[in-house]
Amino acid sequence: MPVDDSVTLRNTVAYVVDEAKTAVTDGPVELHFVDIASTRSVDPDAPEELAEASELLERVELWVEEDLGEDPPAGISVETAVLGADRYLFSPGDYADAILEYAADVGVDRIVLDPEYSPGGATPMLRPLQLELTRGDVDVAEAPVERRTETTVLTRAASLPKYVTVFGASYLFYMLLSAWKPLDFLTGFLTATLAAVLLAPVAFSQQPSVVRVGKQLARMLLFVPYLLKEIAVANLQIAYVVLHPSLPIDPEIVELRAAVWGDAPVTTLANSITLTPGTLTVSVSDRAFDIHSLTAGSREDLFGGSLERAVRFVFYGREAAAIASPRERGDGGEGQDG
Amino acid sequence: MTPVEWGIVALALLGAFFGGVAAMGIFRLPDVYTRAHAASKSDTLGAVLTVGAAALALQSGISTAKAVFLLVFMFLTNPTAAHAIARAAQDQGIEPWTLDDEEGET
Repeated sequence: MPVDDSVTLRNTVAYVVDEAKTAVTDGPVELHFVDIASTRSVDPDAPEELAEASELLERVELWVEEDLGEDPPAGISVETAVLGADRYLFSPGDYADAILEYAADVGVDRIVLDPEYSPGGATPMLRPLQLELTRGDVDVAEAPVERRTETTVLTRAASLPKYVTVFGASYLFYMLLSAWKPLDFLTGFLTATLAAVLLAPVAFSQQPSVVRVGKQLARMLLFVPYLLKEIAVANLQIAYVVLHPSLPIDPEIVELRAAVWGDAPVTTLANSITLTPGTLTVSVSDRAFDIHSLTAGSREDLFGGSLERAVRFVFYGREAAAIASPRERGDGGEGQDG
Repeated sequence: MTPVEWGIVALALLGAFFGGVAAMGIFRLPDVYTRAHAASKSDTLGAVLTVGAAALALQSGISTAKAVFLLVFMFLTNPTAAHAIARAAQDQGIEPWTLDDEEGET
């Protein structure tokens, strides 16, 4: 089995070991794991790559031991090798040559491929390689392991309130932008229907409720002036910093674990952070925000948490606004670098 | 001039000022992250103030409503775009510029 770092490598190794356990009842089994070096040993970065290759092979050996269990059946032996360090491999054909040569040398009768095997980096390699390998007289198989699948659920069950909400919002929006001619009512109706049919299943994470959405909208109206004020202050600060002859900045990326939950609040907070004094959301995963801050003062404001509190107020109401600020929660201050 | 006209002129001038600050910021700031600050904040406000001036100047119901929608969408999309750029930069492994870099250079 040729190995290369991939998301399904672990599962493929497990599959190979399983197969070996079944086959060992008919006689001894030798498992060969090979890493194909894409650079020759004379290349300047070869030592590094060879080190990586042997590290990967060691990891594979450990996995095999693990899968064989505490009481490994007799007759299974494991060999590893790095191939191709003595020549320049370029095409899938070259890779296949290297693998087949090795297979003939050690007497392999079956080659198992990892479904995500791609030693050529981003270049898709598996299909052509599989084809080239069939030139030899060994059995070639792709391991039947699960590919990684996206776990996020985008589509949720649609319901009548969702259709009505999407339809209503789209129709209203269409009419606001149109010229109120009779034809516009018809085209608007058709457009809104289309939007509702296509988008209602993905538009909401929860059932829309008139009361909750109404409350959120009302609180949003309170939030907007506050945000506008913050934006104005932000811009005066930026203008001051940018126009100051000595450019007084002290940028740093900090991490904030925000106390907001769900897509809409997190998005709102991320965008609000970007719009307000000297802070820019770089990446968000779940509730951990990586925030680039321009000045020390902007970091102070961020961990003071007034913005986060305001977003919580919009989405969850007044009680949630009382949750402690990031600094009080013991977060903030320490940057990721320097 | 009427007060409304004064308002339009003031908004347009302020918009131009912040647009200028954004341009200056992109020019003067040291790296992609700090430049994204200038692009996301000053630029948004500059554009929004200018559109606000247009909304005032139009003074007809529908066109003003459209301009207001434009404002809302700018506030939603501009930070998102800045975030996308900054995130792409982080994914590429670009290290943010810090004060240490400056001390190292000089």
